[in-house]
Amino acid sequence: MAELLLLIGSGVAAGAFGALLGLGGGVLIVPLLTLGFGLPLREAVGASLVCVIVTSSAAASVYLQRDVANLRLGMTLEMFTATAAMAGGLVAFIVPDRVLALMFAALLAYVAVTMARVRDARGDADAGDAPHARHVSRPTGRTTGDAPDADPREAAEEDERPSASVEPDGSGALTASLSGPGYRVRNLGRGVLGSLLAGVVSALFGVGGGIVKVPVMNLVMGVPIRVATATSNLMIGVTASAGALVYLFRGGIDPYVAAPTAVGVFAGASLASRLSHRVDLGTLRLLFVAVLVVTAAQMALRGIG
Amino acid sequence: MKAGRLERTVGVVLGVGAIVSVALLGMGIAGMCAAHVGPLDRPFPPFDLERLPADLASLKPAGFLWLGLLAVILTPSIRVIASLVGFAAAGERRMVAVAVVVLAAICLSAALGAGG
Repeated sequence: MAELLLLIGSGVAAGAFGALLGLGGGVLIVPLLTLGFGLPLREAVGASLVCVIVTSSAAASVYLQRDVANLRLGMTLEMFTATAAMAGGLVAFIVPDRVLALMFAALLAYVAVTMARVRDARGDADAGDAPHARHVSRPTGRTTGDAPDADPREAAEEDERPSASVEPDGSGALTASLSGPGYRVRNLGRGVLGSLLAGVVSALFGVGGGIVKVPVMNLVMGVPIRVATATSNLMIGVTASAGALVYLFRGGIDPYVAAPTAVGVFAGASLASRLSHRVDLGTLRLLFVAVLVVTAAQMALRGIG
Repeated sequence: MKAGRLERTVGVVLGVGAIVSVALLGMGIAGMCAAHVGPLDRPFPPFDLERLPADLASLKPAGFLWLGLLAVILTPSIRVIASLVGFAAAGERRMVAVAVVVLAAICLSAALGAGG
């Protein structure tokens, strides 16, 4: 009973922490289950994928009903994220546990660096270096962008963003049909490549893959950050679902662990959306970076053995 | 079906799916408590579709847990099916094809997972 409550509580903390910082929670859940509860890495990834799908479904529901997410663009890119997630899921059962742990440590380090850069960029912005701040913070501030309530400063910033340029590669009709009010999608080919990478990352590590999708859609494809975040969130469900099905049928999902963690994460993410205006996000982000660095080191040690 | 209406409908499908999933998982967790099953108890019950109805009928926690997990994992697929129907009704052939490819990728994942 104590273990069950601890697992649910950990899920609540991971969900709240992740949602407050615009993360899906997967990046926290996998280390929590492996390092905290001693689960094999693949079972932790399987449980994390379940958590990611629940939070994605809940958040994307809100985004769609508010007409923020771009359904057509999301589904077009999902063809590639889902296919790549299937491949990533199969690869995850081939790669040795230690190698997977080392790769996860590298992912954590990358997220820590990007989160630290967001902090720096915001500090710079406060000091008046706005262009640099925008350049850095756009792709990273919402990197895994899974929280239903986006930072209002970024949302306001985005409303001022001009429309993107016309597609140069002749696929104008297609990109036009995928564009939205105030912006035109461009570089669809590069978006496809980014989606393939996001799918593999999602299934290998049990994360949403927003860390790849949001910057690609925003910086490369010209999609406003708020729409990119919402659309990424929508895509995460199908992407993680494709990976989770491989884990499900290969015995990689432990229902006794996945269920309480998912319920905890769902509750934590819901709670965070109500608390977001009362929390000092700067301090939380700094704490998060520190946690990620320590966790990355522990995962690396696990990988080295 | 107009674009805005389709988005709202699909959004409702996702929201309902998330709530139903969490409710089923909650029932499974309550069952775990009642049966004094710990989350780290091994071995965990394997996923078996054929056993699922019997587990549910006998109110075993594993039945509700697996049904909840299935609901979680299949909610995005149901969203894709809802989108497909909406696009077909609106005559958007390209998006219908996209939805079919997405569903095919999901089905292939299940087939490859089960085949391993």
